[in-house]
Amino acid sequence: MKGRWNVRGLAAMVLAAAVAAVFIPGSAPDRAAAAAPVTLNVYINGDTNIFDLWSKSLLPAFGKRYPQYRANMVALLHGNGSQGVFDKILAAKRAGRTTDVDLWETEPSFVQQGMADGLWVKLSADMLSNLSKIPPQKLAATGGYSIPYRGSSVIIAYNSQYVKTPPKTFDDLVAWIKANPGKFAYCDPNTGGSGQAFVAAAIYKFVNPDKYAGNAYDAKEEAAWDPAWKLLHDLQPAMYNNGFYPNGNVAVLQLLAQQNIYIAPVWSDMSLDFLKRGLLPKTVNLEQITPPLFGGDSTVTLPALSQHLEGALTLLNWLLTPEAQEMVINAVSGYPGVDWKYMPASVRAKFADVAKPYSPLPNAQYLADLKRLWHDRVAAGQ
Amino acid sequence: MTRRARQGALGLALVLPPLFLLAFLVVLPAVTAVVDTLTPAGGGSGPTLANYAQVLATRTVRADIGFTIAVTLVSVAAVFALSYPLALYLRFSRGRVARVLGVLFVVPLFVPVVIASFAMITFLVNHGFVSTIAYHLGTRTFPRLVYNATGITLAQVWVNIPFAVLILGAGLQAIDDALIDGARDVGAGAVRTFVSIILPLNATPTMITLTLLFIGVFGSFTIPYLVGGNAPAMLGVTMTNYLTQYLRRTESVTMAVLAFLIAAVVGAVYVASVSRRERGTA
Repeated sequence: MKGRWNVRGLAAMVLAAAVAAVFIPGSAPDRAAAAAPVTLNVYINGDTNIFDLWSKSLLPAFGKRYPQYRANMVALLHGNGSQGVFDKILAAKRAGRTTDVDLWETEPSFVQQGMADGLWVKLSADMLSNLSKIPPQKLAATGGYSIPYRGSSVIIAYNSQYVKTPPKTFDDLVAWIKANPGKFAYCDPNTGGSGQAFVAAAIYKFVNPDKYAGNAYDAKEEAAWDPAWKLLHDLQPAMYNNGFYPNGNVAVLQLLAQQNIYIAPVWSDMSLDFLKRGLLPKTVNLEQITPPLFGGDSTVTLPALSQHLEGALTLLNWLLTPEAQEMVINAVSGYPGVDWKYMPASVRAKFADVAKPYSPLPNAQYLADLKRLWHDRVAAGQ
Repeated sequence: MTRRARQGALGLALVLPPLFLLAFLVVLPAVTAVVDTLTPAGGGSGPTLANYAQVLATRTVRADIGFTIAVTLVSVAAVFALSYPLALYLRFSRGRVARVLGVLFVVPLFVPVVIASFAMITFLVNHGFVSTIAYHLGTRTFPRLVYNATGITLAQVWVNIPFAVLILGAGLQAIDDALIDGARDVGAGAVRTFVSIILPLNATPTMITLTLLFIGVFGSFTIPYLVGGNAPAMLGVTMTNYLTQYLRRTESVTMAVLAFLIAAVVGAVYVASVSRRERGTA
């Protein structure tokens, strides 16, 4: 017994110390509270390149410009957890409390859902001095409930080494595909927006795009898409690998890089980024065809019950300054949310080939049916 | 409380948490989903099979179900045809080759399925390893080995062999050496011993392997999603597409119930064969 530690007593002391260590600091007065910066929570739905844009470029620069604020980013990869964030904001509204979500970059469908419950701040020029820099038609599309701060569109990438006269219109492109079988591919629409854009372009050849871009949805309107399915189905034997649709935007870019295909629809920001990093050969050029492939803006929304409304408005206003918009261009090669005329001339020159207007995106329900009908009518050949 | 009652209460207390978990996270949602599929879409009264009729009326879904069953049967047959000889070899051979094989065959168990899928694609794709070797050996036209049913089957075989060999091997271990020696003494050849002694004694592990393989391959998602083609697709991929891409929750749940029914038939076979064994040894 001599020299043997009283194990129980020792364990009790360690446990008590641990409990104390956890609870006591919380009750100590926060002496620095008065001078501490206000922390804003920014929820971002996107991919890793967007997270890097926010956490490495935008938010540190914002903190330097406005030292009284500190911004914290919450990443929602590919939108995972978005429903939970929406439910949190809705629950706060129903309980009459504030929410810790100060700014949210998310899909239009959530903004749509929240409008009915009055979850968002309707932004106007007196709240945001920089709002006037945004092209009016872009603002009208969101009704002032969300602000576009970056955009991109789908464009055509072609390897100039093998394609001496690139097709300039959609019909030229279809003719080129039929004349050069196996050298064009678009990704499965379930897996990437660049494939959806090509399918949408085939549809827009026969219908008016604006009919499908608004909020209305009528499944009967999709009967007008039949000629597009025939066109795409006839194109199938001329596709890469006899009608194989790769899995994802990046897979198509890789095929282009390996010179398995010579032309492909690609996202403007992805392809510019790949060219910048040397992942695509220098001979690959980008162009927009007529009528243009679709594109869209990513928007940020301000919850009406945010705990730090003033800070969020400051951040939002700063986001529309040339300083922040240039970061969008440099970091992710996106289009700015503000009008091109506010960007420096060097930037406008770099984007001259692709900075053209783009076709509208079909709304979420039409897009879902587009994917399903493509699968049934083109891939499965029904 | 008596000691027995106390022990009984303790046992119950230990079982309750996982039971609650099972009930609220698995059973309740499953029952709610099935009830959902039986309610008419317009909100009318009474259970209806309209959702099932609609799903089965879609040609692509029927094609997908048929495709899934076909690929599963071929994969299970291939895995079985490769694992049984391997299990027999590992059971009855001594020597260095057997020892090395005994370690190698377990390796796929430790490779994550996503990585295995991408490796399989790189290995089998056009301009990949196999294709390049075939080219140097003189073949000029190379059949497509990935992004179709062949790719799915090859990947499933690679991923499932360790599991099948382990279960079949465990069954074979239970067969006493004395029985094999006895058969040989009486003059039975290798094939006769296999058919008359090993196969019947190993029947239950065989049934278990076949049924679990079927259910596993039938409901798989990762391999068909990465290695499979655009159409037809395996049911796991189709269900996911209907839910997340096409935003058709009811169709997706209906397909899930159909898949469950098919797997339940196979599961019933599994339960029957296992309980027969229990009754036999009791």
